[in-house]
Amino acid sequence: MSVGVEKIVEFRINRFDPQTGRHYVSTYKVPVRKGTSILEALQYIRDNLDETLSFRHSCRMGICGSCGINVNGQPMLACYTQVLDLKVDVLELAPLSNMPVIKDLVVDIQPFFDTFKKIKKILIKPEAELNKLVEFVQSPMDLKKYWDLTLCTKCSICYSACPAAIDQRFLGPSTLTANYRFIADSRDEGLDERLKPMADNVWLCTSCNSCTLFCPKLVNCSNAIIDDRSLLVESGVIPRTVKDVLESVIKYHNPMGSHQSKRMDWARGLNVKAFPEVAKADVLYFVCCSAAYDMRNQEMAKAMAALLDKMGISYATLGSEEWCCGDHILRLGEKGLFEELAEHNIGLFKKFNAEKIVVLSPHCYNSFKNDKPYADAGLNVQHYTQFLAEAIDKGKLKTSKTINKRVTYHDPCFLGKRNNIYDTPRQILQSIKGLELVEMKRTRQNSFCCGGGAGRVWTEEAVPEKRPCVERLKEALALDVEVIATACPFCVTTLEDAVKVLDVEGKIVVKDILELLMDAV
Amino acid sequence: MEKYAHDIIIVGAGLAGLRAAIAAAEVGNKLDIAVISKLHPLRSHSVCAQGGTAAVMREKDSYDLHAFDTIKGADYLADQDVVEFFVRRAPREIILTEHLGLPWSRTSDGKLDQRPFGGHTYPRACFAADMTGFHEMHTLYGKATSYNNIKFYDEWFATSIIVENNTAVGLTAIELKTGEMHAFQTKALVMATGGHERIYEFTTFSYTTTGDGMAMAYRAGAPLMDMEFVQFHPTGLIPSGALITEGARGEGGYLINAKGERFMKNYAPEKMELAPRDVVSRAEQTEINEGRGLEGPHGPYIALDLRHLGEERINERLPLIREVAIKLGGVDPAKEPIPIRPAAHYSMGGIKANIKTETPIAGLYAAGECSCLSLHGANRLGTNSTAECLVFGAVAGEEVAKHALSNSLKELSKEKLLAEEKRVFDEILGSEGGERVPVIRDEMRHVMNEKVWIFRRGDQLESALKEIRALKERFKHIKVQDKGGPFNTGLVDALQLDFMLELAEVTIVSALQRTEFRGAHSRVDYPKRDDINWLKHTLAYYTKEGPRLEYIPVTITKWQPAARTY
Repeated sequence: MSVGVEKIVEFRINRFDPQTGRHYVSTYKVPVRKGTSILEALQYIRDNLDETLSFRHSCRMGICGSCGINVNGQPMLACYTQVLDLKVDVLELAPLSNMPVIKDLVVDIQPFFDTFKKIKKILIKPEAELNKLVEFVQSPMDLKKYWDLTLCTKCSICYSACPAAIDQRFLGPSTLTANYRFIADSRDEGLDERLKPMADNVWLCTSCNSCTLFCPKLVNCSNAIIDDRSLLVESGVIPRTVKDVLESVIKYHNPMGSHQSKRMDWARGLNVKAFPEVAKADVLYFVCCSAAYDMRNQEMAKAMAALLDKMGISYATLGSEEWCCGDHILRLGEKGLFEELAEHNIGLFKKFNAEKIVVLSPHCYNSFKNDKPYADAGLNVQHYTQFLAEAIDKGKLKTSKTINKRVTYHDPCFLGKRNNIYDTPRQILQSIKGLELVEMKRTRQNSFCCGGGAGRVWTEEAVPEKRPCVERLKEALALDVEVIATACPFCVTTLEDAVKVLDVEGKIVVKDILELLMDAV
Repeated sequence: MEKYAHDIIIVGAGLAGLRAAIAAAEVGNKLDIAVISKLHPLRSHSVCAQGGTAAVMREKDSYDLHAFDTIKGADYLADQDVVEFFVRRAPREIILTEHLGLPWSRTSDGKLDQRPFGGHTYPRACFAADMTGFHEMHTLYGKATSYNNIKFYDEWFATSIIVENNTAVGLTAIELKTGEMHAFQTKALVMATGGHERIYEFTTFSYTTTGDGMAMAYRAGAPLMDMEFVQFHPTGLIPSGALITEGARGEGGYLINAKGERFMKNYAPEKMELAPRDVVSRAEQTEINEGRGLEGPHGPYIALDLRHLGEERINERLPLIREVAIKLGGVDPAKEPIPIRPAAHYSMGGIKANIKTETPIAGLYAAGECSCLSLHGANRLGTNSTAECLVFGAVAGEEVAKHALSNSLKELSKEKLLAEEKRVFDEILGSEGGERVPVIRDEMRHVMNEKVWIFRRGDQLESALKEIRALKERFKHIKVQDKGGPFNTGLVDALQLDFMLELAEVTIVSALQRTEFRGAHSRVDYPKRDDINWLKHTLAYYTKEGPRLEYIPVTITKWQPAARTY
């Protein structure tokens, strides 16, 4: 009658005893069969090995939202996850993040539910219409426009994974999505009222995509938040900081507040060519506004040019005709402006027959790959880490010098979470002699955002301890590393901000992989 | 023990509880209302309701038709005045929730869509894909939290109702976060705590549906009515028991045995898969018992085949069960049949309440599955339970509000509070015996599965009763390992088991006495419905020696009992 045991899995459970304040780990061996969920394993432990283990559960079919926990660093519903699917012999279980722990795997969900009190969760319509005992008409097509957003079970997994939620002003992915769910409902007439509660905090979202990545119901919170912002942008009720970024892009086609004619200043004295000055090149080097204008990040732009030169690759930039890719602008909610930027850049890519585009920023990379109209243009785009890892692999680029340093790598969200590029940056680091690569607790898909995405790199106004970059840097500092490496100009900016905030200039340095590579070749 | 006081207290925050809170709040914004639930409201089992909510919404349908379907489905044990009231109030609830924003599924012209369901002669199940209860819950929670005069006590475990002079005056509850017990004074109390199906091994129900409210009311002196009638749902997913909605058959799904036959043709040739649940579950169990079940790693099963509906329709109308079948059962219904068998699903019985949801104890009301009005008689039709929660949740809210406005708070006797503290903390948490809660719980569930299942026999019921009583004795010698306060789920498990053992006993005693075959109560040793002797409701009263039974007549308005064929 029963299914055989497939294997014994070790469960290491992070526990908390509220009466003594002690955090500790309990280890249990659980026989796992085909079909055993994490929840069933927890029940096995409680029924057979340790009755004192506390965890929440109820429906065991993924609809009540009780049993969210962190499994090997990733938040998920225990009942909706089969142990064998995880393909490991050891599982580390911990309570969800961003909420205080009550006991063992049980967290206080009140902070999460408090965010819902700030929005209205029923239709807004004139009283007279609501009092009529007749159904409102809604076409299946109109229903479809918001249906997927109604599937949120309020399990708080998104909130737990959200870097912006460390600032309690932020309504969080679930609540902002619920708010948009009503805005998108053809029956609702409360747009103005619904914009208010989010107007001052929706900008804290960094579009890191963790909410969407981990949602057990595949609700696209990340996009719903962008839709929320679009409506705010349309209504004109936006903070000065956001307005400044958008106005700069409108005026200069970049968010850096600097004239386009200065875009190539970083290359002064270097032999960097631009289209149409060269008619043809093998690689179109798309620099990124931050690397072009930010004094600190110009080092990256230069390093890339030097490496390209070193390999003897024929390349050219778009010169002062390169416009912002528009990623931050799209994610701030200015879709029209984004399209204008995209059309311009696509036009140039076509005009110059760009067969291969290499970008410095993961944000440019993601937009070119995944955001329409770029995504429809069939661009052949590579992030520089991919391009250089390939070159190292083929022996075209050799790392000859030794760097005796302990280094950790911070995954940029737009490279990792959004495009699954986790290995190539690490391959480059590991190709450097003497370099010791160590991982932070939250890494790869579970990586914690630096807080720079979706324009926040320019609009940051949270108090220092509520900035994601500060929390992230603390994680690196705990590893006693000399360098925190990354592969994104915006991550460099935010992490350096954290270094200053925490006053640890002597202890840790922020470096882009490009800079480390420059030192190594 | 800290003391709290509210004009109205509602225990349970599922559909009936939330609806009651809203209705009471609508009566007056001066009323101070509390909702106490051992779970956060959105974790309540009501979110698992899938297929739909019955209501007469179209001209071709009629109240009489809905009422008759319900009464025939009930095998004539329903109180017909309650049924008639219910069918008239249901449509209003659909409109109300629609106006709150519930995303009901629509027809191509934008109207509320309705699907067929077992035992209903008109497609009258309004639905939100296959997440009807989920959406009803989230909608009502959105509304309930918009009132300033409703206070939620989330994750507070109620342990007892305090009754003085046959009047409910308060209750005790443990705040799970701290583990401390507190006393609540109130003018009126609504029990809306759901069913007790976790007394069974194979059940569609959440782990938390342990019948606490029924047991508390029973111990406080309120009778439990018709507890022998437990509904077995025809399609519990193997191996977890998770619900696969009847809507899957409403959309056209087939039930297939090992010979590849749609065997329902032999049991309900007219209605086939859409016969009422008691009929279909008996048919499945018969197929399995007679060796025509399919063989799987978890034992014999029946196949629910949806493949002919096509992937698109499954995704549109049954997205949740597709996901659940894949995640929990490892089968994709678009590609292969779903392995299912009958699972304990609903308690037709519960705290005896009248058409106004009043129990025989003054100030104590009951609504939803924990109550018995009796709307469902011996067998409930699918989609009538969510409708009942909405309709009678609203009635309960209106009635308690009236009661609270004309009554005052009464003192809670110290002795009763001390006695409850002693029971919970000394006798249960402090017990130092050698018995373990999970072991007794599993044995209880096994006994109920083996001997108090779909087909019942006197000797088996007697043997089950002995075993449950022995387990009750053993429970006195348990040891709860966790002696701490905050979130002591070991203590919660013990308290729930204590309640469940009580209810298992009442279920068996009631079933043993009823020597007939009616609705979900299929006595193989008495294979006929017996209207002469048994057209009556069972009432079970708590005594120290076990339940004392009484019987009361069924209210018949215009539908005389007749033969029941489908």
